[in-house]
Amino acid sequence: MSLYELKDIVHDYDGQPVLTIDEWTVSVDAVTGVVGPNGSGKSTLLSLLGFVAKPARGEIRYQGRRAETFADSVRGKVALLPQDAYLLKRSVYNNIAYGLRFKKHAGVDNVRLRVHEAMEMVGLEPEAFARRPWFALSGGEARRVALAARLALQPEVLLMDEPTASVDATSARMIKAAALHARQQWGTTLIATSHDANWLADIADQLLHLFRGRILGSGFQTLIFGPWQTNGDGLLTKALQADQVFEAHGHPSDMNTAVAAIAADRMELYLDPQRIPAPQRGLKGILLHLNYEQSTGRVGAAVQVGDAMLNVYLPKSQASHSSFAPGQQAWVAYDPRSIEWY
Amino acid sequence: MEYILNGIVQAIKLLLSGDAETFSAVAATVKASSFSMAASLLLGVPLGFVIGYLRFPGRRQIRLVVDTLLALPTVFIGLMVYAFITRHGPLGEMGLLFTLPGIAIGQTILALPVVIALSATTIEGMETGLRTTLVSLGANRRQLLFTSLWEVRHGILAAGLTAYGRVMTEVGISMMVGGNIKWHTRTITTAIALETGKGMFSTGIALGLVLLLIAFAVTLPASMLRRK
Repeated sequence: MSLYELKDIVHDYDGQPVLTIDEWTVSVDAVTGVVGPNGSGKSTLLSLLGFVAKPARGEIRYQGRRAETFADSVRGKVALLPQDAYLLKRSVYNNIAYGLRFKKHAGVDNVRLRVHEAMEMVGLEPEAFARRPWFALSGGEARRVALAARLALQPEVLLMDEPTASVDATSARMIKAAALHARQQWGTTLIATSHDANWLADIADQLLHLFRGRILGSGFQTLIFGPWQTNGDGLLTKALQADQVFEAHGHPSDMNTAVAAIAADRMELYLDPQRIPAPQRGLKGILLHLNYEQSTGRVGAAVQVGDAMLNVYLPKSQASHSSFAPGQQAWVAYDPRSIEWY
Repeated sequence: MEYILNGIVQAIKLLLSGDAETFSAVAATVKASSFSMAASLLLGVPLGFVIGYLRFPGRRQIRLVVDTLLALPTVFIGLMVYAFITRHGPLGEMGLLFTLPGIAIGQTILALPVVIALSATTIEGMETGLRTTLVSLGANRRQLLFTSLWEVRHGILAAGLTAYGRVMTEVGISMMVGGNIKWHTRTITTAIALETGKGMFSTGIALGLVLLLIAFAVTLPASMLRRK
């Protein structure tokens, strides 16, 4: 059974549609990443999945049943950690204990145990932090307290909106580790959003791409946005930088707004452009970083070409003894026919 | 300048000597203002929450009316209340004219728009993340309401103190509805008006200082609550 089923979802603000999802499901115990630029609808999607907001149209089913804000089936079980997490005007301890006190069997000792456990999960020493007031925390510490408040509930689902944005490296590491620990210990389903596909690809089993409120496919892939031109060969082109032009086959309905998507395993990485076989095209860029995906065992590479970030999987044969290193000039090869259009 | 200094000295004498007239005016002031503040907070805070939190047709118009009522002159309120509770008025049989409850009703009408408007402003200024946090942590509707109010308690407290200031210092309602009857409905403010009218400036100043002391006694615990 799917954990979430979304059908014919439309959500708008003041009549302006911000999210349109025809159909989408989330599996139990999965780690799902939602990636997209600012304004793509990621936060709105999490608000709907967290039952903080209700879609203007459409239906969201949770564990097979329709659910809404305050429903018993989701209250205290689906926890949303927003990007700007609000801390209640009380101590760290009472912030984390707040939701626990609504639960049955919430005795004082049980609450204390759960609060301390959650604090340790996010790397906050209970002795040092429990009594601190909400205003005496750094940005990273505040985010970790907010996460601890959700973890203390041992939720069935943890939704995190840009969990590592604007926090220090230590906090980012703690947040990631705590979320994965929750999944391992309690089977918590994780759904996280980020504009950084590489960070998400590192932890996610499935990756969903959002753009202007619409799903543009899933998986580790590259998205190239319009407007598009047509060249003499009838191919659609987009200049990524002065001498690097992305070419694609296809007939999108709107040349200005069409988005070209190409899966990471449909691209290849080369250090020598002479080795790129026809009819593949090659784009020259700088290899920025390599990511090991724990869930798939594959190594992904991010190559910057102009303003675009191209995501490529290294073949398994190359991954273990690769001569690729960040900072190198590299060529990304792809077949212009292997494009999906949105 | 001399009568001002005399006023300060006389204020201390009046309080230390337990002057019966002074304490009668203090008691009348405290009784009437306590009742009116309790009523206006009980009614005004929830109404302010509704106006500030919910979105419904006519909300802006209601807010405009409430904001306009902030400028209601006390003598006008006194006049309207008088018209209702005078013997020939619609509520004449209740016998409220020239009584402390009658004054309290007028003061409630005075304080209510202040509490509603300032509470609504406080609620509107509430961070949008608060609702998300409370829902995410499993709060139901009732818990959402009470926790939200607790989170904005400083703003609500300020609304109460502002309303209290208006109520404590008003003269028009107390004079018109209460009648300034010695030992019964003479409040500190009506006593000040009377003493000043008699040329007894020192006594007027003394009573004014007593009023300030009462205001301080109320504001001090509120200020200590603000630290929490």
